[in-house]
Amino acid sequence: MKIDGTVVRGDHFSGNIAEIRKFAVMSLSWLTVIFVAVWGVCWALGIFIPMCLANSSFDFAAILSEVCKALTPIAAVLVFIPINAMFMVLMERRALALFTRRNGPNRVGPDGALQTAADAVKLLLKEDITPTGADALMFTLAPIIFFAPSIFGALPLLAAVTNNHKLFQIVDLPTGIFYVLAASSVPVVGIVMGGWASNNKYSLMGGLRSAAQAISYEIPLVLSLVTICLLAGTLDVVSIAYQQSGGLLNWNILGGGALIGLNKAIAALVSSSGAPFAEVMNAYYPYGWLSFVGAAVLCMCTVILFGVYLIGACAEINRIPFDLPEAESELVSGYNTEYSGIKFAIFFLAEFTNLFIVSTIAVVMFLGSGDCPLPTWLNPLSYPAVYEPLAKALSPVLSVLINDLHLINPPTFWAALWVIFKTYSLIFFAILVRGTLPRFRIDQLMDFGWKRLIPITLVIFVLVAFARGVINFHV
Amino acid sequence: MTIQTKLPEFKTDEMVINLGPQHPATHGVLRLILTLDGEVVKHTEPVLGHLHRAQEWQGQNRTWFQYQALIDRVDYLSGMFTSWALSRAAEVIDGTEVPRRAEFLRVLCAELNRISSHLLWLGTYLIDLGALYGFPFYPFIEREKILTFFEEISGQRMMYNYIRIGGVQRDPKAEWFKKVEEFTKDFPKRVDEWEAIVTENPIFLNRTKGIGVLTKEVAQAYGVTGPTLRASGIDFDLRRFKPYSVYPELKFDVPVYNKDGDTWDRYMARIQEMRQSIEIIKQVLDMIPEGEIMSKKQNAGLRIKAGEGFAAVESPRGILGCYITSNGSDKPYRFRWRNPSFSNLSVLPPLLEERPISDIMAIFGSLDIILPDVDR
Repeated sequence: MKIDGTVVRGDHFSGNIAEIRKFAVMSLSWLTVIFVAVWGVCWALGIFIPMCLANSSFDFAAILSEVCKALTPIAAVLVFIPINAMFMVLMERRALALFTRRNGPNRVGPDGALQTAADAVKLLLKEDITPTGADALMFTLAPIIFFAPSIFGALPLLAAVTNNHKLFQIVDLPTGIFYVLAASSVPVVGIVMGGWASNNKYSLMGGLRSAAQAISYEIPLVLSLVTICLLAGTLDVVSIAYQQSGGLLNWNILGGGALIGLNKAIAALVSSSGAPFAEVMNAYYPYGWLSFVGAAVLCMCTVILFGVYLIGACAEINRIPFDLPEAESELVSGYNTEYSGIKFAIFFLAEFTNLFIVSTIAVVMFLGSGDCPLPTWLNPLSYPAVYEPLAKALSPVLSVLINDLHLINPPTFWAALWVIFKTYSLIFFAILVRGTLPRFRIDQLMDFGWKRLIPITLVIFVLVAFARGVINFHV
Repeated sequence: MTIQTKLPEFKTDEMVINLGPQHPATHGVLRLILTLDGEVVKHTEPVLGHLHRAQEWQGQNRTWFQYQALIDRVDYLSGMFTSWALSRAAEVIDGTEVPRRAEFLRVLCAELNRISSHLLWLGTYLIDLGALYGFPFYPFIEREKILTFFEEISGQRMMYNYIRIGGVQRDPKAEWFKKVEEFTKDFPKRVDEWEAIVTENPIFLNRTKGIGVLTKEVAQAYGVTGPTLRASGIDFDLRRFKPYSVYPELKFDVPVYNKDGDTWDRYMARIQEMRQSIEIIKQVLDMIPEGEIMSKKQNAGLRIKAGEGFAAVESPRGILGCYITSNGSDKPYRFRWRNPSFSNLSVLPPLLEERPISDIMAIFGSLDIILPDVDR
């Protein structure tokens, strides 16, 4: 059916394919730009400059190269966060346009790819207004306190998502996830400060709502991650990520390691070498059917925990359906009603960075970090017969880059690729939710948090504590 | 050693907050002065008049022909109905016979307009509930098609000026009817799709079920009309109760909800009304006869005989009435409008009492108010 040249239903599907293609091209090119830029900076600062300095006879060469190496992770985060937020805003707008059959921003740059860059410039040039009667100091501090934790909270995750690359091991933090969670609970102080200092009743209400919401939803969020830590036996994000390597069955979302035994047993069956199937199974599941029940319970629990984590994270970063602190139809814009110019830009930047960080935490804690979802025994590249000829064919081209310049580090490269894929899939899911659901009411939000999520996570915590007793995890 | 058993007195103050007239969610320029205790509304005072344009006075100072073009602005989402009420009142005084084809065209356009108005309500209501980005655009896609139909017959997308005193402005071509027919086949499927997303959505149910309960008695006392009244369980529809035009010849249901009269019922009443409107349009497309479409000359010399008359139509928001006194000159002597939005809005303060601030928009949106229709 066609009315005056407008494409309507019927032609709908073919009409959208073109838009989907544009969206995919835009996303891929932006992602390439981001990660080439970030890795370029890291490589130049952490590898190339020290490499040049090593040959020089300059007095402070050694110290300078150490300083450069130490600054690398910070530079990575500082380069990454603004560009990434720009891309995420654009991606969100284009994706929402896709869901609602609009075109989205498509004027600035090729297919609107530079739209958010233009928006950022516009925001920076706007007048910075402090309302009459506002507490100027608090009003200025609020966006900074809101934004800063997303920078320092992200640092321990860097090593976990890059397969423990030596450049990104800033500090050996045995309580990594604890530190990340502590950092991620600071921004709410910024919101309350901003709401209170604005001298606006709507802002005040938004700030107070945010405090109530953050306190309620941090509990299920932390409980779900603590249960995973209980299964992993460690708080260190790098070792949690490392434990999950070896394919989908080892990931924390499927039993938190309960299926490692199954994975190994099938691998033994497929390779027909090493220990026989039954023997491996017995080593991991020593109590017969009781162990299998335990494994099934663990799988169910961890899947539910993942859901709880996603809900808690959505509430923690104030996204629909939990965007009560900035409920547009009720509170105008909530805590940031009075903000303009650069301060508003920082709030905006931090919101999207927080979304990225909670997605990354989900990937590290539940989705196997930089691990390929195919189990090793199913992955063709893990067999020497496939891998070796490929490596031989590519070695003349790549050996310079890998061995001489250290420009490509294969383990880190693959890990980063998978992390990018998984993280942005979760972000896309959050956008999908935003395009579907209405908003909760504040008392329903509290009910849902305290009466549903917290009891569920507590019950699961106890269940997991018992169920893990009947399985051997890491033999 | 003494143990303090009594907590110190904890004093709370009420906060007065201005919702509007420049608030993103008040659908125009309504101002509500709210007294809040925490997040709970203690008292509501709607302040009207921000959009007062003296439409009645303007009518007395313009010729009949000029005022016909102006009156679409009273209810900008359902311009067909305002022109229809005006035309019917004038025809009652004048005793004009409206050609049969014109009556069918009026019903056809009015029902299409009813759908387009409900579609805009559906989209914006979901925005009021916080589904800001996804769903609200879907009804607008269908509304766009209806606006295209109107553009083809009247040259306008909002201020149609299509229904005139004595008939309708233009006779559509045969292809136009075909397009409308295709639309009526396609539209019920779209309604099913929207219902699949919205009607049983748990968050939507939480936000609307049992919220803003409007009982029969309160609704009658405040003179509430339209789908809002029928959602409270009173079967009152002018098309049925006091049939006009060709409605007696058409078969259709009037959806009435007998249970609660909450916001969810008002939502369902409008959804069902859209389905019924489609049924009416289908019948009209079958029954429409050939013939004249206008019985009065449309120019500056348009005159109505001296006398008084009142006529009302069932608009998407309720009973839209027009009372005219004519002295036989080229201008009406007195004008008075009875607007459904005004009486529907007056029921807001009792509905909002003791509700949290998040429910304000859920309840206010469900009443489907058009601010120019309130203030005229």
